Amino acid sequence: MARRDFYEVLGVGRDASADDIQSAYRKLARTYHPDVNKDPAAEDRFKEVSEAYDVLSDPELRRRYDAFGHDFRQVPDGVDPQQWARARAGAGQSRAGRAGSARTREPDNDWFSSAGFTGTGGIDFEELFGDLRGGRGRSWGPIPGADQEAELTLSIEEAFRGGRRSITLSGPDGSRNYDVTIPPGVTDGQRIRLAGQGGQGTGQAPPGDLYLVVRLAPHPRYRVEDRDLYVELQLSPWEAALGATVAVDTPGGEAKLRVPAGTSSGRRLRLKHRGLPNTRGAPGDLYAEVRIMVPATPSDDERRLFEELARVSTFDPRRQR
Amino acid sequence: MTTFALARPVRLDLDAFARLAGLHPDVVRRFVALGLIDASSDPSGTLWLTPSQLPAVARLQRLRAGFNLNYAALGLVVDLLDRIARLEAAQRRHASTPVSTGARQWK
Repeated sequence: MARRDFYEVLGVGRDASADDIQSAYRKLARTYHPDVNKDPAAEDRFKEVSEAYDVLSDPELRRRYDAFGHDFRQVPDGVDPQQWARARAGAGQSRAGRAGSARTREPDNDWFSSAGFTGTGGIDFEELFGDLRGGRGRSWGPIPGADQEAELTLSIEEAFRGGRRSITLSGPDGSRNYDVTIPPGVTDGQRIRLAGQGGQGTGQAPPGDLYLVVRLAPHPRYRVEDRDLYVELQLSPWEAALGATVAVDTPGGEAKLRVPAGTSSGRRLRLKHRGLPNTRGAPGDLYAEVRIMVPATPSDDERRLFEELARVSTFDPRRQR
Repeated sequence: MTTFALARPVRLDLDAFARLAGLHPDVVRRFVALGLIDASSDPSGTLWLTPSQLPAVARLQRLRAGFNLNYAALGLVVDLLDRIARLEAAQRRHASTPVSTGARQWK
């Protein structure tokens, strides 16, 4: 596996001071810590950054890393770097350097009892943790992994029908594929939980969960509010005035809608339970919002009839009531 | 006649919870005292915790290990992260569903 250079990971030069290294690490840790950044790719980045800092923050380990590169843990003390470079293979497997990786360190939950602390009386744990237990306090026992979140964009038709969907999440260790069952009627912001697919725990601790947060893509015809759908219904003036039965497209298929006589623009006509389905209750409704359209270029007959209507009618929509 | 089984509330005492969390009971007690995790106590003073608090403890451990935070800061960070998560969720909802005033929205 190709590993990135530790200096490159932290974004510092090889001549960086200890302060520069710490500052670079702190900034990256704040960005990529799995509890701050829910992106599944962030965890791998955080691990990489932590490992680089573990090595470069220790002057002795840093010196050995500079001399031997990523293999420095396999190199016995006192070996000449150039000699090592000539005979890399097989040397010193049994004598890993003094700092076995932080990840392989024995869990030390028994630390409290072995140190003779069985109660909290008079003991400031913060002092103990902060000062005695080392720079970054990475000596806890197994810690379960963090939950992660990824966005899943669905069309309104997909959310309506539900069904299976194949999802690929890319990461530095290759892409992961999931076959996800989407429940019918999933709404914007809802989370689909993939148990155990989140961040890795340390030691034997279980991994976290991966949550797919549903986003409904904007639709040219439908607007969504919770489970209700809104669609524009264009009517001719005579359909609106006299009433009509018109066909309306819904995600579940065509529906017949009765437009009552005397309908003006802006009126909402409800098609009950024609919105997004709901596995735990009543489905949403579909609202058709009326918009009256007139011919842009009326024919001679149409113009004549409209003129006659204008002459005969006493209707004034702007009259003060 | 339909019968229903008696459901025992899922709760753990301090030792059982600490074992599951991989921590010393005193640390768990400390978390409770600092209000970092929720627990209830019965009249005899025994602490009871729910398994739902285990992920919260894991998060405290991760944050503490990652940033070397003291306990007071840990509480603040956790509260702020929760608040940001709530605000982001609300913002997501708003962004996708314009507030309906009941009026027709002309394009």
